[in-house]
Amino acid sequence: MVTTTDSKIESKAIPLTQLSRGQTGRIECTQAHPDDCSMLRAMGLRPDASVQMCRLGEPCIISLSGACRIGLAKDIASRVMVHIDE
Amino acid sequence: MTTPTASQVVSTKHTIAVLGNPNVGKTTLFNRIAGIRAKTSNFPGTTQEARVARVNLDTGAQRTAESVLIDLPGIYSLNLDLSESKVCVDVLDGTAAPDGEEANIPDVLLVVIDATNLMRNLTIVGEILGRRLPTVVAVNMVDVARRRSIHVDQAKLSECLGCPVVMCSARTGEGVEELAAKLGQAKVSTRSAPTDIDGIERWAQDVYEVVSASPIAIKEDTLTDRLDHAFTHPILGVFSFAAIMTGLFWMIFKLAAYPMDWIDLWFGSVGSWVGSHIPPGAIHDLMVDGVIAGVGGTVIFLPQICLLFFLLALLEGTGYLARAAFVIDRALRPFGLSGHAFVPLLSSHACAIPGIMAARAIPDRRDRLATILVAPFMSCTARIPVYILLTGILFPERPLYQAYAFTMCYAMGIFAGLFTSLLFRRTILRGKSRPMALELPSYRIPDLKSALLLTFDRGMMFLKKAGTLILAISIVLWWLGAYPHSAPTGAAIELRAQAESVVDVEQSNELLAQADSLDTRNAAANSMLGKLGTAFQPIFAPLGYDRQLTVGVLASFAAREVFVSTMAVQVAGSDDVEDDSVLASIANATNDDGSRIFTYATSWSLLFFYVLASLCLPTLVVTAKEAGGWKWAMLQFGWMSLLAYTSALAAYQFISAAGGS
Repeated sequence: MVTTTDSKIESKAIPLTQLSRGQTGRIECTQAHPDDCSMLRAMGLRPDASVQMCRLGEPCIISLSGACRIGLAKDIASRVMVHIDE
Repeated sequence: MTTPTASQVVSTKHTIAVLGNPNVGKTTLFNRIAGIRAKTSNFPGTTQEARVARVNLDTGAQRTAESVLIDLPGIYSLNLDLSESKVCVDVLDGTAAPDGEEANIPDVLLVVIDATNLMRNLTIVGEILGRRLPTVVAVNMVDVARRRSIHVDQAKLSECLGCPVVMCSARTGEGVEELAAKLGQAKVSTRSAPTDIDGIERWAQDVYEVVSASPIAIKEDTLTDRLDHAFTHPILGVFSFAAIMTGLFWMIFKLAAYPMDWIDLWFGSVGSWVGSHIPPGAIHDLMVDGVIAGVGGTVIFLPQICLLFFLLALLEGTGYLARAAFVIDRALRPFGLSGHAFVPLLSSHACAIPGIMAARAIPDRRDRLATILVAPFMSCTARIPVYILLTGILFPERPLYQAYAFTMCYAMGIFAGLFTSLLFRRTILRGKSRPMALELPSYRIPDLKSALLLTFDRGMMFLKKAGTLILAISIVLWWLGAYPHSAPTGAAIELRAQAESVVDVEQSNELLAQADSLDTRNAAANSMLGKLGTAFQPIFAPLGYDRQLTVGVLASFAAREVFVSTMAVQVAGSDDVEDDSVLASIANATNDDGSRIFTYATSWSLLFFYVLASLCLPTLVVTAKEAGGWKWAMLQFGWMSLLAYTSALAAYQFISAAGGS
């Protein structure tokens, strides 16, 4: 399943795993199994949510809107597409 | 308000369902309101459970006699294809209720949300408001929010949601009384939230912007970053995990030893008291050897089970376990198990039954089945008495070698479990396991009360099992072992006659003891269990087991530790295994033809067999229940038996051929 924001796409979305540590971005979509997509979305990884990379690697740890931390297996983190904040 | 159904009119009970995201302090808040009166119940036909409490809430004008408070599983959304989400939906529809409760549409919904993570939490509030039921929203963790300078406007939030909103902290108790009072004023929201997911998310964003004074600001949290980095690091993470787990196990084995001794003493004295008050005969034997010995032998593991759940609950409360799951995920994934399998497999080292029950938390069905199937390979505490006996026989007076052999047993169980998972994930449970995505809760000081309540619940569950299933098995086993009664043997009668003619009291007593021992052995051989042993012995002969060992193995199907006492009864005529001389007599026991039972090869063969065999009927019952069918229990039994038999066969034949006897 691919979920996309209706905001205009200013820059090319990159996989979450390409953010460097401390860098922030906004989620565009998640390209994974539909069950995983709905789960991640319910956990707060919805389109346009603000994320910050806390730890790269396996697992990849992100801070979501500064409110909670989510650990993601690398496999699934690489399927979350984000726009880097300018 | 919804039109009351027929059952609601009859019932005076007021049902309050507690809902919310995981990690929002829902259960702590529930425990604050319910106190210690809650009990854990299952939803029939599922592996989900809820805590249920009957409370008398002071609801002012709308006074109700009694309210039933149901703490539902934590969910991120009502619309996910997960069993916890489905259970919540069924409860809201009035089609499901925990065991012992009527299935009614709840009268009030209490939605618990986290003040520090308002935006995401508002999504589930939107979904729940859409159910058009009287609702109260509790904004929990206001104390943490204040510390982080997060401000939530209560009045505006209540206005936006169109239902009462209470600010509270389950941890400090702040606002909990007000919440209890507000539950009587719950009302159907005057506002309507959208029903589609995109609409709900936009609505949540809009509400958030109105009620929250603090804009989303991503702040560096260096301490959490550092701890996360250490606990999930490929090397440091493994070391800290090993250190924490060693500490946990050390505490379980060390601290549980004292209460275990007390329980042992208590059952011993109850046994002698009952024994002295009931005249000798079948009822006397049934009570002392069947009921008290059987249940006592199981209840003795209660302290370990309670400690395990208590320490795990504390550890979970600190936020560490979610990090550990990722460390374990890396190690288990090549074998087709996920990090979620960690707690079930760890618990299985105490007892496979709570381990298999803990597998409920694994979201993916195939991951869960694989975990349930391999859990009994982990060396449980019931295997320990057998390991102690056999390593003692194999390496007498060499404690270091005994310790090596002990460790080898544990490693062998784990290895067999991983191999089994690998095999099943490539065959019957084929498919990629779902990648892990877990919320990492903030590091906190764990809530002692919640941990104690959980421990109490788990302990009671275990006692209930000991009082029903295990009691029944003990009685059947005792009956098979005790009947038909055998008349005293000729040799024993002769010894008793000799004893009467001897003047020396000590010598006379010794002769009498010998006579008793002969009779006990004879009775054991002629009992139904003994005859079963004779019938099954040919199957176990290639593994080096004689009739008596076969009986020991068969008796172990009730519980593994029964092996030691069964062997004691058969070879020594006494089941007092505390006595060193009895253990020694088991070790030196001879076969009917005078050869030793426990040869070097037989002992190794037995050790392999006990590490790998599925010798526990209660585990199979739980597997069938949790995996959803007896075919899984049969598969587990068949596979473990095959592995145990071939390994024991190989060990016996190889060592015998190499000249070890």
